[in-house]
Amino acid sequence: MEPEGAVAARRVFAEHAKGAPSGESEVAVRLRRVTKRFGSKAAVDSLSLTIDQGSVYGLIGPNGAGKTTTFSMIAGYLRPTEGSVEVLGFAPTAVDELRARVGVLPQDALLPASDEVGEFLVHLARLQAVPFKEAIDAARSALAGVQGGDWWRQRCGNLSHGMAKRVALAQAFLGDPDLVLLDEPTAGLDPRVAWEVRHFIQSKRGRSTIVISSHNLQELEQICDGAAILDRGRVIAAGRMAELTASNDEIRVKVARGTPRGSGAGAVPLQVLRDLPAVKTLDYDDEGFEIVVQFDRKQADAEAVIGHVLSALLENQVRISGVTKGRSLEQRVMDLT
Amino acid sequence: MNPVHEIGLLAARELRRGIRSAKGIALGALTLLGAFVASLVCVWIEGADRAKGSAESTQAYVELKRQLLEQATGDAKFAAYLASIPTSLLIFLKITVWLSPLLVALLGFDAVSGELQHRTVRFWTVRSRRWSYLAGKFVGLWGLVGAVTLALNVLAGSVALARGYVTPGELVRWGARAWFVAFCISGAWAAVATFISSCFRTPILALLTTFAAFFVSWIAGAGGFVSRQRQALDAGIAPHMAWYEYAYPNAYDTLLLSPETTKVLTALGILVGFMAITLAAGSFVFERRDI
Repeated sequence: MEPEGAVAARRVFAEHAKGAPSGESEVAVRLRRVTKRFGSKAAVDSLSLTIDQGSVYGLIGPNGAGKTTTFSMIAGYLRPTEGSVEVLGFAPTAVDELRARVGVLPQDALLPASDEVGEFLVHLARLQAVPFKEAIDAARSALAGVQGGDWWRQRCGNLSHGMAKRVALAQAFLGDPDLVLLDEPTAGLDPRVAWEVRHFIQSKRGRSTIVISSHNLQELEQICDGAAILDRGRVIAAGRMAELTASNDEIRVKVARGTPRGSGAGAVPLQVLRDLPAVKTLDYDDEGFEIVVQFDRKQADAEAVIGHVLSALLENQVRISGVTKGRSLEQRVMDLT
Repeated sequence: MNPVHEIGLLAARELRRGIRSAKGIALGALTLLGAFVASLVCVWIEGADRAKGSAESTQAYVELKRQLLEQATGDAKFAAYLASIPTSLLIFLKITVWLSPLLVALLGFDAVSGELQHRTVRFWTVRSRRWSYLAGKFVGLWGLVGAVTLALNVLAGSVALARGYVTPGELVRWGARAWFVAFCISGAWAAVATFISSCFRTPILALLTTFAAFFVSWIAGAGGFVSRQRQALDAGIAPHMAWYEYAYPNAYDTLLLSPETTKVLTALGILVGFMAITLAAGSFVFERRDI
């Protein structure tokens, strides 16, 4: 149950954001052939990307892929060398139009050390055009949302890394903006705090469009509806998470180590499996002991195919170690980059 | 949001930060201590002046001052006006004006560069226009220096009052005028410091560049002053300021202290223009840079 103050504060933010053309466009973020060069080096090279409103979207890629540069251009910190960036229908630097509609968690920005947490959040809320009293409510609500209600009077400079990250997260979600950009939200956090942060982000699903740039692929796979995989400044794959992991048209079955292929008891009966309904292709990796089945999703869904395949394997007394729908995001990224 | 409101919020935060930070507290304490010593020195100078020769009566003392000032400025009207200002306040004003660039540089060098270095600025640029962020920093710094200058003037005035060299009426009248002059001039220094601070990510580079810029400006002012004094000695009449002296904000103190309203307004106009142009240039650069 949400506290009354939080609801009131959100209403105030919504009222102050009136006049902005919210909902006019279904697109939250659009990058058109964006290039960013630092000297002669192109960190982002003719990158195009569209992120729909209401989605939780991940920016994925190895170090130097251009994730943070792309993120920084969306947030208006960096100016593209070429191309255009549009955020909720406006240039990212159109502060007046985007005021209170965009929240950002920058990856490595330090909180102002001499400010108290409460006054820092109130100050930011006031810059979002919220009157003083409501700004206090909004700041308290945002801080409570990250389990930091007790930190109000603490100096930002005295916070631990995890606490500072959560305060930064609170300022990003201050007033429930339409679009929230999060750069490495769980980097450097211990597993418990990281779990709490993930939980907090998931609790915001549906209220805001959330764009997350992260190295943590497991986390992104859990949280995101869609993602773009970047490498060397370009998008090499983008789409819904199910498409990226092929979870709608591929299943993978792990069998016990040493399982041979063949028709005898305890062996993988490849021909029997290939003849199952909806199966398009089937491969067995003798080294990884994994069966990869691609199927026609129009004929059967993943669960039905899993049922058929497991029945056939059990009938042949094959020992099964595990089943997954599609590849993990990590595998997909490793394949592509 | 109204830009004035936005700048007000940013400036108020900057003031809080300046007063509260370790640097602000240390500088404030040192400045007040130094000001106390300086005000004792000013009062001692006035006491020594008063005790000199036959100038025992206030009237004779003021006349002596008038003659000296007329020699220095070549302007009889201005000299007569200036002679009525208590010596200790006048000397203290000179000290304040001379030291204000140092105070501005030390208080303002990291106002923007410090937040660029640690990328703290990123929390603000999604919520405020970049130019108003810069303007807020400037107003905050100017306000802080103004508050410190006010405290210094109150301190110096109190010492002079305690010694009986000024009456409460004179203290309010001339003290306010002296503070106003120092405040206006420090605005120009604050604008330059804010501009330079916004150009660097490394605060120490901002500090060194600020010192260098202020030194070049001081050279222009000092060069012009020396040249004028030489000409005054040779010709017996003090000439007008050379063109390059206008690049030295402290050179406007004479105009700001003038009894002629047009001269005061001219100095104010030039100083406001100086601040506006400096900030406009700073905003132009800051709007276009990556942060």
